[in-house]
Amino acid sequence: MGPFRHVMEGYRVVDFTQFVAGPVAGRILAEMGAEVIKIEIAPRGDGSRVFAAFKDNRSAFFVQHNRGKKSLCVDPKKPAGLEIIKGLIARADVFIENFTPGVIGRMGLGYEAVRAINPRVVMCSLSSFGQDGPLALAPGFDPSGAAYSGMIDMQGEPDGPPVGMGGAVGDTNAGVSAAAAIGFALLHRERTGTGQYLDIALVDAYFHCHDRSVHIYSGSKGAIVPRRSGNHTPFYCPAGIFKGKDRYLVITAVTQAQWAGVCRAMGRPELAADPRYDTNEKRAKGGVVEMVERWLQSLPGDDEAMRLLEREHVPVCPVLSVAEAINHPHLRQRGTVATIQDPVYGTMDVPASPVRFTQFPPLDLRAPMLGEHNAEILQNYLGYTRERIRELEAQGVIHRDNR
Amino acid sequence: MGAYSHILDGYKILDFTQFVAGPTVTRLLAEMGAEVIKIELAPGGDPLRTMYTFKDGRSSLFVQHNRGKMSLCLDAKSAAGRGILLDLARAADVLVENFTPGAIARLGLGYEAVSRINPRIIMCSISGFGQSGPLAAKPGFDTLGASYAGVIDMNGYAEGGPCPPGAAIGDVTAGLNGAASIGFALLHRERTGRGQYLDISLLDTYFHCHDFSVQAFSASGGAISPTRTGPNVPGYAPAGVFRGKQRSIVVMAITAAQWRSLCRVIGRPELGDDPEFATSTERVERMPLIRELIQGWLDTMPGDDEIIGVLEAARIPVAPVLSVAEAVNHPHLRQRGTVMTVSDPVLGLFDVPASPWRFSEFPQARNLRAPFLGEHNGTILKQYLGYTEQRLQQLAGDGILHSENR
Repeated sequence: MGPFRHVMEGYRVVDFTQFVAGPVAGRILAEMGAEVIKIEIAPRGDGSRVFAAFKDNRSAFFVQHNRGKKSLCVDPKKPAGLEIIKGLIARADVFIENFTPGVIGRMGLGYEAVRAINPRVVMCSLSSFGQDGPLALAPGFDPSGAAYSGMIDMQGEPDGPPVGMGGAVGDTNAGVSAAAAIGFALLHRERTGTGQYLDIALVDAYFHCHDRSVHIYSGSKGAIVPRRSGNHTPFYCPAGIFKGKDRYLVITAVTQAQWAGVCRAMGRPELAADPRYDTNEKRAKGGVVEMVERWLQSLPGDDEAMRLLEREHVPVCPVLSVAEAINHPHLRQRGTVATIQDPVYGTMDVPASPVRFTQFPPLDLRAPMLGEHNAEILQNYLGYTRERIRELEAQGVIHRDNR
Repeated sequence: MGAYSHILDGYKILDFTQFVAGPTVTRLLAEMGAEVIKIELAPGGDPLRTMYTFKDGRSSLFVQHNRGKMSLCLDAKSAAGRGILLDLARAADVLVENFTPGAIARLGLGYEAVSRINPRIIMCSISGFGQSGPLAAKPGFDTLGASYAGVIDMNGYAEGGPCPPGAAIGDVTAGLNGAASIGFALLHRERTGRGQYLDISLLDTYFHCHDFSVQAFSASGGAISPTRTGPNVPGYAPAGVFRGKQRSIVVMAITAAQWRSLCRVIGRPELGDDPEFATSTERVERMPLIRELIQGWLDTMPGDDEIIGVLEAARIPVAPVLSVAEAVNHPHLRQRGTVMTVSDPVLGLFDVPASPWRFSEFPQARNLRAPFLGEHNGTILKQYLGYTEQRLQQLAGDGILHSENR
């Protein structure tokens, strides 16, 4: 579309992040065409370069979260190293970091210092608990935010232990939140010319996902205390995970019309008008879950259950494993699964960005080797000579993986 | 900051959404100062208005997801109603809708039609499975997207069944993705003057949350086939939910430094340098033994406060598993404003989750109110379209406009 390859073409991002949440933010910007310089601390770089799966010591985990970035591997504790980072920030539109609060300030790269170098820069800090408040200085990973937000407690059987998250949902979510806030801050810069500071936290991102629990607890003045309720809730029925003949099925029938559809699918249309089952609450208490599961078990297979329910317009779907989801024709056709190229892996699959623009096709992005772009970045952005670059390498200020 | 009350001050949003995912998009835009006109179908409006909990017929669920919007309630199938929608689309910067794919075009508001009358408009559709592909026409709710994304299968104990997410995480996050893509599309419009169409889905959103499982399955050629692992976080070790003295506790020690530190804390310092436990990958394989060691140490401690204190002092990520009630009342979430107390004319004061976006130039808490059904019919039609009082009365009389009498 027009002269631009994608939305963020021409924008320069300094990405001083590691693990998941921060790298996701930088990667989403890269997916929109931004030039992303990933700063990695010499000599090892991002801590996620050692996370499985591997091929020839190349982490597919790292690849997924760092596609489309250039790597500069530098020692920020050496003055020459810090000078490089500051030089890059002076020429950047966006600066992202996700150290424990306080650390970036001690490095000399807190927002005050950054703004003094470049008042137009949008600086975004990502952390587990945010830059202020009693928990701010605690280290944390995804499950820490899930625990403090009350999310983990909502998962599992009522009389069993809580169930952890099946993935770093909050990290990814915090990364998306950061990218979003950066986009709006850049939009604001178009009107005012000034940058600003963004404070994004994992715990905020998880807590923000409570679509119902917070207002239910608070609106009822604490009379209703939301707790985990296994595969079914006391509020909606039939709606939840049901044991089918071959696998688990999700059935969501929360309106009266959908309930009537379930009754017809089960061959018991008369139940739709039965006063024992005329509200969600009555159905939740009245054995409807067991009734539906008995019906599912009586069928030759789950395909038949899906056919009968879909014919009645009742939302139903199979619980797919990750392997099945990756290979599902819908996820393939739509590009929800992105097949990417990597110099070590060849082709492999990763989740595509959910931030989709119909005018721009997905870009072909590669994850960098450690320090792969040291020379290019220092020459092109800061005008360093080859000699100076060799010197910095010899002094251990910059470092690279030799392949 | 300067002339603007917030980032989207002056932007006009036409919000034709219901339930959770769509309304989250426009609520986030409203939190940044945009003027949001919520179109509600006469006579009932957004079905969320009938969902739990209530005070005097006012749904706190509706309030949480619709703060800061104006309500225009009309019959979208009538010619006059459609005329109003097209006229509003002419004046708007952004149109957001979350009907099942195809429905919005049948109402005359598909992107083709809308961009013809307003080439600068950004239109964002939110759906369960996206606008294309074999599943596109299916109705979508949160849990269905989570199923097809392989997320539900990852939740729960290996020996038991899968377990649904503890909230409509995908709905809220799809809302976040919708708002994010709108922000970038507006940024792009600054350079080109052109709008565009955005296709956001719940399924893409959930699938995008697989930080570990997708690459591990694919890059290992299927040798690693992730499924639910109960209390252990898939892919990292040690990481998961453990039995504390009073409650469940999350403990994570996935970097080399954290692992060594944890080994010292549990009285097994030699394991910190044992090559069999050197990397997270090796520790994943030995997780049953590691779990036993950590649990054994936890069982010797006098209480949860001591456990958390010792681990925090050793810089090991640790967290108590809080209930929603505890999280809402936690001093950190309160002090930081993660929990936002809002004021509603019917419900009074109550809490909702705040936007996770924080801008240094703008305060977080803005007093946004959710509208009554059709509350702004008159204001919107007079102000935007120049309708007369007489015309408004006529439209109300014809049942094209509708409003709740409060």
